[in-house]
Amino acid sequence: MAPRPARAAAAGLFLPLLLALSAGGCGERPGAGAPITLVFKHAKILGPADPMPGLLRRFEADHPGVRVQSEALTWSSDEQHQFYVINLEGGGPPFDVMMLDVIWVPEFARAGWILDLTSSVPPAERDAHFPTAIAPAMQDGRLWALPWFMNVGLLYYRADLLAKYGFGAPPETYEELTAQVRRIRAGERDPSLDGYLWQGKQYEGGMVNVLEALWANGARLLDEAGRPFPEAERARESLAFLRGLIESGVSPAWVTAADEELTRRPFGDGRAIFLRSWPYALDLFELPDSRVRGKVGVAPIPRLRHGPVGAASTGGAHLAVSARTRHRDLAVALARFLTSETAQRAMTEGAALRPSRPALYRDAGLIARDPSLPALHGLMLRGHPRPITPYYLMLSTTLQPEFSAVLVGRKSPARAMRDATAQVEHLLRSVTP
Amino acid sequence: MSDRGLAWLLLSPALLVLATLTVYPALWVLWLAFQYRIPVFGISRWAGLDHFAFLAEGTRFWNAAWVTGVFTVTSVALESALGLAIAVALRGQRGGRRTALALLLLAWALPSVVTAKMFEWLYHPAGGLVNFLLGDRAINWLGDPALALPSLILADVWRATPFVALLCYARLLTIPPDLYEAAEVDGAAGLQAFARITWPLVRPILLVTMLFRTLDAIRAFDIMFVLTGGGPAGSTESLTVYAYRALFQTLQIGLGSAIGVVVFALVMVVAAVYLRLIGRPERTA
Amino acid sequence: MRAGRRRDAVVLLALSLYAAPFFWQALTSVRPDAELLPLTRLLPSRLTWAHYDVVLRQSLMPRALINSLGIALLSTLLAIGLGALAAYALARLPVRGRGVILLAMVAATAFPQIATVSPLYLLMRALGLRDTWLALILANGSFALPLVIWLLTGFIREIPRALEEAAAVDGADRLAILRWVVLPLVAPGMASAALLAFLFSWNEFLFAYSFTATEASRTVPVALALFPGVFEVPWGDIAAASLLASLPPILIVVGFQRYLVRGLLAGALRE
Repeated sequence: MAPRPARAAAAGLFLPLLLALSAGGCGERPGAGAPITLVFKHAKILGPADPMPGLLRRFEADHPGVRVQSEALTWSSDEQHQFYVINLEGGGPPFDVMMLDVIWVPEFARAGWILDLTSSVPPAERDAHFPTAIAPAMQDGRLWALPWFMNVGLLYYRADLLAKYGFGAPPETYEELTAQVRRIRAGERDPSLDGYLWQGKQYEGGMVNVLEALWANGARLLDEAGRPFPEAERARESLAFLRGLIESGVSPAWVTAADEELTRRPFGDGRAIFLRSWPYALDLFELPDSRVRGKVGVAPIPRLRHGPVGAASTGGAHLAVSARTRHRDLAVALARFLTSETAQRAMTEGAALRPSRPALYRDAGLIARDPSLPALHGLMLRGHPRPITPYYLMLSTTLQPEFSAVLVGRKSPARAMRDATAQVEHLLRSVTP
Repeated sequence: MSDRGLAWLLLSPALLVLATLTVYPALWVLWLAFQYRIPVFGISRWAGLDHFAFLAEGTRFWNAAWVTGVFTVTSVALESALGLAIAVALRGQRGGRRTALALLLLAWALPSVVTAKMFEWLYHPAGGLVNFLLGDRAINWLGDPALALPSLILADVWRATPFVALLCYARLLTIPPDLYEAAEVDGAAGLQAFARITWPLVRPILLVTMLFRTLDAIRAFDIMFVLTGGGPAGSTESLTVYAYRALFQTLQIGLGSAIGVVVFALVMVVAAVYLRLIGRPERTA
Repeated sequence: MRAGRRRDAVVLLALSLYAAPFFWQALTSVRPDAELLPLTRLLPSRLTWAHYDVVLRQSLMPRALINSLGIALLSTLLAIGLGALAAYALARLPVRGRGVILLAMVAATAFPQIATVSPLYLLMRALGLRDTWLALILANGSFALPLVIWLLTGFIREIPRALEEAAAVDGADRLAILRWVVLPLVAPGMASAALLAFLFSWNEFLFAYSFTATEASRTVPVALALFPGVFEVPWGDIAAASLLASLPPILIVVGFQRYLVRGLLAGALRE
């Protein structure tokens, strides 16, 4: 995706003209006069074949006189967020359609940066997505964004090792997981073979892992009123359990500083039995030169004593329309097109992304290319969104250091929960009048 | 135009800029510290002493204050001792003084972000020079809560020692060599000469230098923010890093400003204590 | 004499070791990727310019270098321009409350940036200056201004008054004296102050990190702190980028050492 300076410059030249035209209040009439340019901001799509150019040309063909200019965001999620905040508060060139991390949608809605899509999207279209993907796009009963692709937490396991030691199925509980790790490591006598890898670094991914541990024990982070740890004892057990994984050696100490890639690599090199990660890793494990090709299975995240199996966090990206767009209808049309079944099928085929539409998980053509789809379908349905609140990012960054302190053993779970509660309460005092 | 009028004409642009961009913000931050202020959501309400009460109760604040304290005291002490030693060693230097100073000042002149990135690589468990020189250890210097703060302090000492060394060295150069010759005649050499001649003369400037370094260490932000980000698990989170996270990561401008005010107050108190130690600064009039 | 020379060499060697972290970074910047992780040998088997190639062709660094250079030069110009006028007034003209003003300048040099970053952020936001050069020029220039005034006031005082008086007798007015007598004489001092102001702006991170969002105004320290890696940290590229970020400081330490040292000493010792 090389930048096209000539085209960008041309857009820059046309922009003042367009502003003058639309200021006249005549709305947008594509096809007549100067071409309209829609700017689409999104992260670079990785994968075998980038489907974006084809999709955008197709949209342009359906809308004569409209050009879509695709602009790549930086790689890191924090930077994308900072870019949006500064840009949407004023200043900076406007754009029309933007990719949002699912956890930002309520925040952007509350800040007034994105358009309410409720009346533009027919109910049937909305219901064609997983409810777990639509729920985080809702705020105050309105719909603010459309799901573009979806993620869910998974347990990867080494099917070959489990079979070798007579375990017929992947673990349903963490107790079983621990027992399997002990048995297999005792048998393999390989000091470089780790047990269970997950993401314990102080960042959003670490937050996801803590949330999954809470849910796995039937505990929530916040109750309906936003108060933290309504099931305090279960939450304490969950945190103690995560720390216990490290103390008992089931997980290596370095997981407390690990993100997705740092844990994916050793598992991909055959140096771990279990891994908690997102679906993207599956494609990498099945590459022709992968050392674990054909040896990896996926299962729901196990449970602790009080919780359900497969209480995994959902993730993914949504498309929203900027409140500063000058081409409201066209921008909404673009967002709807890019989240349509056609577009999501192309994204599933060309990039290592999973769709947010259940129908595609039953599509024979897609299943032929990716046999894991039916299994993922069940997991997506069972997944949990992270707390849906405009203050999620504030909450998460406030809580991350506390949870991190538990994982490295600097604080007891009870102490960290007390400190976390005080901070969340202070935060809530700030935001509620 | 009268000289008096001209004086104000020449002063006013600078004073205007300072009033807008230094004095006004310094007063404004005091006001913000008493506000709930979250610009993205348009929240702006009076908070009274809530932020300060919250800080006083919170372990995170006291942890940050402790980190700032340990970082400041340890790094200033090490920098002073090492800087003085380097100054004494440099004093006898005849040839290559320029080269010596260039090698020394380089560490001080580099952007602290560069220093942080350099040390991050030096400390890298598998690719770092430190573990390599220790004989292929796999010590996780920045990932271990017990080692991260000492590792951070070492990086800061490397960066700031040259400043101390330069100032002490400049003072040492003004000591007439015959003082030492006279002392040698009296049978005082080495440590004795140092205690009798060097120390009394260099002590005042060392104190001034320590004042500067202490203020800088309390205010330090770049090096810990880039090197450890305050982690692991808050073990290197100073007051400045805590303030930054409150301000720009959780977007709580009010709370972040309150922490900033604490840093502000700390700087003023420390400056006052040092000035008392050093004696009233000479009023130049 | 021989012993003296050997002693000199030992001190130089020790100082070279002191600077070793920097030299190691320089070596890393030309070490092939394959020999970075894990580190198995001290010296690389061959040298490569690949990291510089990546940094100069595929990263934001070139743009950041331009931003940093422009912002540092302009904020230095701002600080020196305003500072020189103010310093002349404080050094030579009757100013009521001069002592208080000078004391305020000293106090202002101790201001913690973290305390003023939030109001400045709100100010830049209100003025629509976020992510612009101007925001950083104003912030950095005003932050360096108290030190510049303090330094220049001292330097101007060192100039013998007799020269100015002679010019006054010849009929020159105050501004002419400032322009033709004082400024040329205080030029070395201005160079010292300018170097410190430039270094401050070049190295500044907190303001730049808080006020910028895109390559339109990202400075070198921010670009370096956020140096992107997709799957792993590109240590070689980061080392190359750090070397580029270090060029102006190196130039100053090696080429303008005299002015730098004079500025540092004057700033610290005249109190």
